Amino acid sequence: MPAPSLTGFNQKVIVGIAEMAVSNNQNVTLTTYSLGSCLGIAVYDPVVKAGGLLHIMLPDSTIDSVKASKQPSMFVDTGVPALFRAAYQLRAEKHRMIISVAGGAQIMDSGGFFNIGSRNYDALCKLFAEHGLKIQAEQVGGLVNRTMHLNLATGEVRLKISGQPQETILCKNSTTT
Amino acid sequence: MQELDDYINKVKSLPPAPRILPELLSLLRKDDIDADRVVKLIAFDPGITAAVLRLCNSAYFAGASPASDLQEAVTRLGFRQVYQLVAAVSGSKMLGPAQKGYGIDAGELWEHSVVSAVASQLIARNCGEDESLAFTATLLHDIGKIVLVEALEHIYTDLVENSQSEQTPLIETEKRLLGVQHAEIGGRLLARWNFPENIVNAVWFHHQPSGAQAHQRLASFVYLGNMVAYFMGYGFGHHAFALRGRTEALDILNLKPECLPEYMIKTFEQLQMVKSLVNVNS
Repeated sequence: MPAPSLTGFNQKVIVGIAEMAVSNNQNVTLTTYSLGSCLGIAVYDPVVKAGGLLHIMLPDSTIDSVKASKQPSMFVDTGVPALFRAAYQLRAEKHRMIISVAGGAQIMDSGGFFNIGSRNYDALCKLFAEHGLKIQAEQVGGLVNRTMHLNLATGEVRLKISGQPQETILCKNSTTT
Repeated sequence: MQELDDYINKVKSLPPAPRILPELLSLLRKDDIDADRVVKLIAFDPGITAAVLRLCNSAYFAGASPASDLQEAVTRLGFRQVYQLVAAVSGSKMLGPAQKGYGIDAGELWEHSVVSAVASQLIARNCGEDESLAFTATLLHDIGKIVLVEALEHIYTDLVENSQSEQTPLIETEKRLLGVQHAEIGGRLLARWNFPENIVNAVWFHHQPSGAQAHQRLASFVYLGNMVAYFMGYGFGHHAFALRGRTEALDILNLKPECLPEYMIKTFEQLQMVKSLVNVNS
């Protein structure tokens, strides 16, 4: 017998740095704090109302393959496939997946020696292109540190920028009513 | 110099100088560390003593049986670790509060400082240099912000608009609006608090390490530790990333940019320790 689902109160699930979480619990909001140059990647299937949030730190698992095997969510190339696989387990389907991306902040560096943020984003775009995936909404780069929330009941993705008082909506899932 | 002192003198609620920190650091740098003097120095401050014991017995640091006095804590943890705890206890009091003028919430500047210090320490260790020195200088690198924050609070809207429209580094915006910036104020404050010249200079030039001249290596550890913390998301406030990339920091230490992701991973592995240092007073 399946376990009864808990209803009636909202739960906030924190996704730490180099971690991910998926859920199809309508009461859950997934939150990842302070992305900095890291990327937050939210996926959501509005039909089954399931989704996930990933907080990657670096572009490429070849930087440290031992670490990647223990902590795949640290890197774009190992974290993103893991996120999608986990979402598929909740019956989310690739063609319905709404993808939002935030983070990848950059210091002022014309030489590009400190460009971790843009390298993360480039790696992500390359991987998505290879798999025919499109980003629906994004707020990437710039000088700000962002926190990201994914509401699993609505698919809405909100951002809170450090130093600014109010949250903004990054992706208002247009397919839900 | 007078302008810097004027700002420091104007601050209504400047924390007391962390008196035992520079003394302890100089004791630690001797080849033959005098354990009795270390214990006596720490014991002088009951608040710090209690915090060191509490931390020594916390989940992260605890051994099989609890340490009941400072002597035992020092023996068990070693001088370096105890020093780190003392620095954290002193630092969290000063850097813990919210810095409204910068858009920084309570605890955020402190968390930024600890992550930067741990990253800087790892880099110094790998370069075979004094890691306690790097840890301390980096832990205190933003101390000037607690001086400037009051002045900035009055002109916060200007600051935000300025940095938004001009896309200039925070430090240059501070200089333009106030005539001084937080790195030089921090250096001056630490000099007044009798911190050694190397730490004073490293903090003073933490956004431009080559300016620290004889102490440019230490300033580079601070610069890179600070960067690693920002990349990992431990950099807060309005336009937190308004900083200039300085390859000189890599050149001075003969490091390649590829080392930065590696230090991010190494710092990530220390986040458990970071957490216990961040919560040192709670």
